[in-house]
Amino acid sequence: MTEEWIIETHDLVKKYGEHLALDKVNLAVRPGATGLLGPNGAGKSTLLKTILGLIALTSGGGKVLGHDIATEGAKIRQRIGYMPEYDCLIPDMEAIHQVRYAGELLGMNSSSAVQRAHEVLEYVGLRDQRYRAVSTFSTGMEQATKLACSLIHDPDLLLCDEPTNGLDASARGFMLDTLFQVVKQGGRSIIMSSHLMDDVERICDRMLMIHKGQVIAQGRIEDLKAIDREIEISVWGGASKIEEKLKDMGQSVRRTGRVMRITRIDDSTYGTIIQAAAESGVQIRKMEDYEPSLEDLFIVIMDRLGYSVKSSRDLLGGETPAMDQAAQLGRKVA
Amino acid sequence: MSGENDEFGLDELLDEVSPPQPLPEPAPPETLPTMAAPSEAEFMGESGAVTGKARMEAAYGTGEGEGQGMAMVAQSATPGSGTIFHQIYRPWRGNLNPRWVRNWSILRHHVYGLFSKGHRPWPMTTKLVVVIVLFGSLLPIISMSIAALTGLDALMTIYGVSRANLWGHILGTFHNTCCWPLLTALIVGGLISEDRQFGTSAIYFSRPVTRTDYTLMKYISAALILSMIIVLSYCAYYAAAIILNNEGWAYLLDTLPFFLVGLVVAFMLFVTFTSIGLALSSISTGRFFPAVAFLGIIFGSRILAFLIKLLFSEDTLYLISPYDNLAHVGQWMMGLNTTYEFPAAWSFVALLLMNGVSLYILISRVNSLEVTRE
Repeated sequence: MTEEWIIETHDLVKKYGEHLALDKVNLAVRPGATGLLGPNGAGKSTLLKTILGLIALTSGGGKVLGHDIATEGAKIRQRIGYMPEYDCLIPDMEAIHQVRYAGELLGMNSSSAVQRAHEVLEYVGLRDQRYRAVSTFSTGMEQATKLACSLIHDPDLLLCDEPTNGLDASARGFMLDTLFQVVKQGGRSIIMSSHLMDDVERICDRMLMIHKGQVIAQGRIEDLKAIDREIEISVWGGASKIEEKLKDMGQSVRRTGRVMRITRIDDSTYGTIIQAAAESGVQIRKMEDYEPSLEDLFIVIMDRLGYSVKSSRDLLGGETPAMDQAAQLGRKVA
Repeated sequence: MSGENDEFGLDELLDEVSPPQPLPEPAPPETLPTMAAPSEAEFMGESGAVTGKARMEAAYGTGEGEGQGMAMVAQSATPGSGTIFHQIYRPWRGNLNPRWVRNWSILRHHVYGLFSKGHRPWPMTTKLVVVIVLFGSLLPIISMSIAALTGLDALMTIYGVSRANLWGHILGTFHNTCCWPLLTALIVGGLISEDRQFGTSAIYFSRPVTRTDYTLMKYISAALILSMIIVLSYCAYYAAAIILNNEGWAYLLDTLPFFLVGLVVAFMLFVTFTSIGLALSSISTGRFFPAVAFLGIIFGSRILAFLIKLLFSEDTLYLISPYDNLAHVGQWMMGLNTTYEFPAAWSFVALLLMNGVSLYILISRVNSLEVTRE
């Protein structure tokens, strides 16, 4: 592994019996914040366990933080902080002791663990609540305690599985700010699995999308958005005319009333639009690059895979009729 | 104030004072740098064209929407006005200790929890039962004390040290009806099942704790707690008998072999009970089922075998009873007359089988504990 990659894998394959959980996964993850996206059953959990060095791979290999996935699982886990999606706290234990114990399980001295537990609980905003039993905590405070447990040894890499799950807007914002500060102030790396595209977009500058055990997209979010770049125009005086003209000129147009989006092929597309407007006698009141959201990007990628989805919820939000339909379509495509 | 009426020279004084400094502007919230980086994007295995972020206002644009095309970036946790909280990430530069320190922390977490705060939160009922069982198992000492104080030799004969009493302290009906099974059910019941129930297995396995270490330390923790009560009370009983009877070295030499055999039997008892209890705990969620199931196995198998013996005068079914197997082997090791019609070797094999099956269930179920989700 070179220093620029925190995770590097080659043709990772993991089979559970006949089920192929990871199919020749080649990852190259840089330091920083990376979002992990994928539908339910895509292989996210298996990938997280692989990164933690917990499962025996069927074939392939890789390195996490310079350690071999297959043989150095314990060393990897010493340098990784894992924040699970689900409850993982001992309910009747006080937060300070919970975090201390999490540190001791990593091999920290008891005194160091206590000292560090105070620090991280203050960092996650639980300084005044640290002597309360976890069972009396709100969901936001439980999530913060889980984050403190994962931060106690100042890990090089933080794996966050749905860190904002069940949080209200305020707690969610604080959690995202806190994670962002871990990257910015602490210079640590994060891999964040989330169903909420906004959260990933807010924290991460890179993303990793897996589907059916395969990596279907990885890289900088801004770069990936380029695959769906459009120009949005607002016209006055004959929207249908310019739409037809643009289509005649070979452009791909999506229109809603007087607002339409034209697929941007290259810089000449701007000229083509203005030419179409001039020839059809239509005013262009506004023209700008349409900045796609991560949600848009997700839908585009799924569309290209043959899935008929209207939003990421259809695929990420659980078992829905749309998901069944998508699964059927996926099987047809396969 | 005008200079004409300024008898005290306030203007000069005011001139000397530096003018009030304007309040510093609050620092703008720090955001992620939006530097243009070379493309590294990959979609469906192919590198895509990267144009970066471009913005354009058309010639006919109204100017509306200018500045709306900014990328969303996280706001820093810089506190607003009136906020004291400063979120500062502090690195940690310590060293992580090797495996035995991690294992020690697991052991300490479970054992210390019985006595002090900050470790495994044992329920108050469990702590009370531990105390009651400990005192209950020390009752023969009280009887011997009364005998020594009152000079009642008959009482001392009943409760004093003998093969039968040493065996009875570990495997007697009272201890195995009222004390050890109840103690085991409460101690061992939730050790693994609660990790499954509360998801705390993730805390262990996402750290450099192997499943072998986890299982081993849980096992040792449970066995240690049981042995503390069983062995401690046994040793206390033997020591009290020597002291209260004012016995000498000859008595000690005579009885020590039986005492040591009793220790071996005690070892077999808490190992077997821990194995069965942890196996039940590993297949459960919550502490109730394993506790009840353990009591059911200990008492149920015994009652069933007893009924079969009453009906058919056949006691081979006692082989399914963990307690009776232990009792039988214990009787044989102590040199007592056995109360079973089949050989003690059968009971010993049955014990080995019970422990083997229990450990197999325990190991396989611990292997199924998930880190991500159940």
